[in-house]
Amino acid sequence: MFGLSTMELEAIQLSLRVALWGVAWSLPLAVGVAWLLARGRFPGKILLDGLVHLPLVLPPVAVGYVLLVMFGRQGAIGAWLFDQFHIQIAFTWRGAAIAAAVMAFPLMVRAIRLSLEAVDRKLEAAARTLGARPADVFLSVTLPLIAPGIITGVILAFARSLGEFGATITFVSNIPGQTRTLPLAIYTLIQAPGGEETAMRLVLISVVVALAALAVSEILARRAAARLEP
Amino acid sequence: MLGTAFFLLLWPWMALGQEKDGRSLTVFAAASLTVPLQKIADAYAETGGEQVALTFAASSILARQIAAGAPCDLFISADEAWMNHLLNEGLIAPENRRDLLGNALALVAPANSGADSGGEDATPLDLSPRPGLEEDIMTILGDGRIAMGDPAYVPAGIYGREALMSLGVWMNLRHRLIPAANDRLATVLVERGEAPLGIVYASDARTSRALRIVAAFPQSTHAPIIYPLGLVADSAAGRSFRDFLFSEKAAAIFTKSGFRTGEFLSGNQ
Repeated sequence: MFGLSTMELEAIQLSLRVALWGVAWSLPLAVGVAWLLARGRFPGKILLDGLVHLPLVLPPVAVGYVLLVMFGRQGAIGAWLFDQFHIQIAFTWRGAAIAAAVMAFPLMVRAIRLSLEAVDRKLEAAARTLGARPADVFLSVTLPLIAPGIITGVILAFARSLGEFGATITFVSNIPGQTRTLPLAIYTLIQAPGGEETAMRLVLISVVVALAALAVSEILARRAAARLEP
Repeated sequence: MLGTAFFLLLWPWMALGQEKDGRSLTVFAAASLTVPLQKIADAYAETGGEQVALTFAASSILARQIAAGAPCDLFISADEAWMNHLLNEGLIAPENRRDLLGNALALVAPANSGADSGGEDATPLDLSPRPGLEEDIMTILGDGRIAMGDPAYVPAGIYGREALMSLGVWMNLRHRLIPAANDRLATVLVERGEAPLGIVYASDARTSRALRIVAAFPQSTHAPIIYPLGLVADSAAGRSFRDFLFSEKAAAIFTKSGFRTGEFLSGNQ
């Protein structure tokens, strides 16, 4: 396909799979956390805020190492998952998806939280006076209003996931077909003399994927905005 | 947040300040040399030598940085290919290259793993090209993987692949690797028990208490592991530190860290 080698195709497919799953798994959680941070009043809110933003300020390698310690075969969560469900996280694409999701989580939460804070609370109050239950208010009033924020968050997180490198290589290593995503493939190619040309091709592919994702987000955001027009 | 912003603004200046001072010597070295070189730099300062600024990373990364003009006085590479690359590029004069150290490869396991696998300590694995070797390795592996430097570019991994090839077990084992970004990371993965087996430098294997040497790879299974040293900027200060690296004092520190020095190398040349 387009003269791409198996290694290149593998890296592209894997990158898309890792980023899509990472985003899909973290989206509901991100909406919940954004809701807590935007609307909630509870002790320890600052702590939660800090915790959510940690991957943004920590070196990615540090995050990867923490993930390895937690989700590795010997880690508390990793050992439990393996014993109970025989699910292995470390050194598999699932681990790569977790690394991508964790690194992208703060970006997603921030975007959703901002749009939640911008929602006119009177609209929700109006829905409630008309007899809507809290779940209905959320689904039919709040969610459409914050849709642009969710789309922005999803795209930011998707882009961040596609580019994730440091946490991934530390946590799940660089296994072809399992965890060698686009950035890791590019890195591997640059490390050996003579890999520059292929690396440059993968860089161009990354640019195309990123631009495509941005274009999709632009279209979705416009549609969401248009639907809100009276 | 404000503190972080300030730091981000300021650090380029701090870095510039360091570069301008000019008195210190900059050494780029392979990551596997971290421990002994730190000690040798301290010993050098004690004898009244210049401050030595040490930078450790994969040899490939360092070589590329030197080729791109990074300020560096001395380069110690973990493999000859990258040193030769710099020689070919004319960045290091041929007379300024010397072989500093030798190393070996070892098959290692987590230190606590011997007890539950039936007293393997008693009979070390026989690493020779024999029938049944692959089964023996697979038995220890179980459903785990072998941690080693990425054979695509990490010198330790390239030697490791060569060794597995000459033992005739590469074809099946290559799907069971954890290719790590450098030799140190592969060591950590075995130490932490994430990988039941690893192929790492003997220097790492001997100095780590969390590792158990399952078997040493025979020297004949791979090309000699040589750490060449190159003087990038030919200065009196650089030459003085290079001579110190070849001194008996430095050799003692290298030997303690599991490296081979002196007569081993001359025998190889």
